[in-house]
Amino acid sequence: MRTGTQARKYRLQGAGLDLALPYLMLAPGLTIVLGVLVYPLWDGLRASTRAYRYGSPVADVGLQNYLHLWSDAQFLNALWVTVKFVALSVSFEAVLGFALALFCLHEFRGIRLLRTVLIIPMVITPVVVAIVFRLIYASDAGMLTALSKATGGGEVQILGNPLNAFIGLVALDVWEWTPLMFLILLAGLQSLPHEPFEAARVDGAGAWRVFADLTFPMMRPVLAVAIVLRTIDAFGTFDQVFVLTRGGPGEATRLISIYGYDTAFKFQQTGYAAALFVTIGLVVLALAFSAIRLLRRVDAS
Amino acid sequence: MSNRLSRILTTIFVLAVVLLPIYWLVSTSLKSNREITQEGTLYPHVPTLDNYVRLFTEKQFGSYLTNSLVVTFFSVAIALIVGAMGAYAIARFRLPFAAERKVGLFLLTLRIIPPVVILIPVYLLMLSLGLLDSWLGLIATYTAFNVTFCVWMMESFFSEIPVDLEEAAMVDGDSRFGAFRRITLPLAAPGLAATAIFAVLVTFNEFLFALALTATPRAMTMPRGTATLIGRIDTDWASMAAAGVIGALPIVFFALLVQRHLVRGLTMGAVK
Repeated sequence: MRTGTQARKYRLQGAGLDLALPYLMLAPGLTIVLGVLVYPLWDGLRASTRAYRYGSPVADVGLQNYLHLWSDAQFLNALWVTVKFVALSVSFEAVLGFALALFCLHEFRGIRLLRTVLIIPMVITPVVVAIVFRLIYASDAGMLTALSKATGGGEVQILGNPLNAFIGLVALDVWEWTPLMFLILLAGLQSLPHEPFEAARVDGAGAWRVFADLTFPMMRPVLAVAIVLRTIDAFGTFDQVFVLTRGGPGEATRLISIYGYDTAFKFQQTGYAAALFVTIGLVVLALAFSAIRLLRRVDAS
Repeated sequence: MSNRLSRILTTIFVLAVVLLPIYWLVSTSLKSNREITQEGTLYPHVPTLDNYVRLFTEKQFGSYLTNSLVVTFFSVAIALIVGAMGAYAIARFRLPFAAERKVGLFLLTLRIIPPVVILIPVYLLMLSLGLLDSWLGLIATYTAFNVTFCVWMMESFFSEIPVDLEEAAMVDGDSRFGAFRRITLPLAAPGLAATAIFAVLVTFNEFLFALALTATPRAMTMPRGTATLIGRIDTDWASMAAAGVIGALPIVFFALLVQRHLVRGLTMGAVK
């Protein structure tokens, strides 16, 4: 992501104010970030080692909050639901987005309309996306029920049934974020060199051979980055669930972020919730860094 | 020929999948609640704008919109100015111990951490500063989030601009900062636009912190206000749909207007 920028850096001479300039230019941004992000981060770490009652700390409990997480069935369930949700959504998005990008690689009439329309799902406010899907899934007023009734069927139950609600949530995420996958992968496909493909065509290679031997291997880095970006993002999903199901029915769609939010604001267990969020943060960072390392190795070989 | 047909069919299918949910939202917003629940019509038989009127007369959607616009404008503007300076410093200067690189990496790391992680301490911070339920509290929070990716995005745009141009300006007597302001900044304008657009999208749509940090129409943003409406009246589908349309309209309109820059901003980084 920073390739080559270091090499292109120049050191310009300066005197007086110019010497202080880099620090002066960095200072405002860093001040804001330190005050509003880094200090709370540190504060959160501190809170995670404490027990709270009625919103104020009452005792230092060391790492107890962290240890407690792993024997908390609700936490483990939320973690499992989150992992399932992320894995399913991102896989579907990657496959569909890639297929769509390959499909759109050849210019044809209507492609501009398609690309414009595909922007809509990912720019709509996530809260509104959730409203859209509630209006689709609602058993009394929903689109699915209306369609089913129009064709002679009965009410369709989505949000009241644990499995259906979970699938419904995945469908929402796929609807919302496949377009982003598509755009990233399309940009990647368009930046591939032409020569190997022309050579393959001269050699008479079939479409599947070209894909398996050329397109896919060359696209691997872009695909990996897109998947990593989406995975990190999906891990923090909150808005859509909050409005669509609020985690229910039961705990069927209660993602880790929802559980943490409820722990903090509904059950007022500030310290425990802080420990939970620190743990999520560490998991996501570990995920991101191992992904970056993996990508570097792929790049090098 | 069959190739062409399959293309047309695929295009229609994709368009339908994307647009049908949106059609249903808009169409529901034009029906009365009676029509929605009792008749289950597929399109509004008696279209009405009552749902929209009610949002503004009874549900304070005017304030939500104002709050959203004010908060988005200030947090994006401040983050852009501050971020552009920081990004330039990282792109052009070499500090002792490679400090500028470390700052860049540090901001990127902060960007990766899901925002929900610092929700509680930010809430406690705003509580202690008396900034809950105020524009200022939201602006401070969103500005900080925006700075982390503004710096990171703009750094790559500045790096693409040849340093010779600035050197020429400085030989002609410009100061370092003057060269930045008069030469580099205008050249990086498309990149800055892409960054700004991305920041507007993210900020306008933000919900989690608005949920925790605001409580009344005094500071509630559009997504926050919309969600409140849902909590309170569970089966008022007509209002909910109209709120969805009003909530999404400004940002969708904006996105389609600046489409080209938007795609560049969204796909950047990933392909590089």
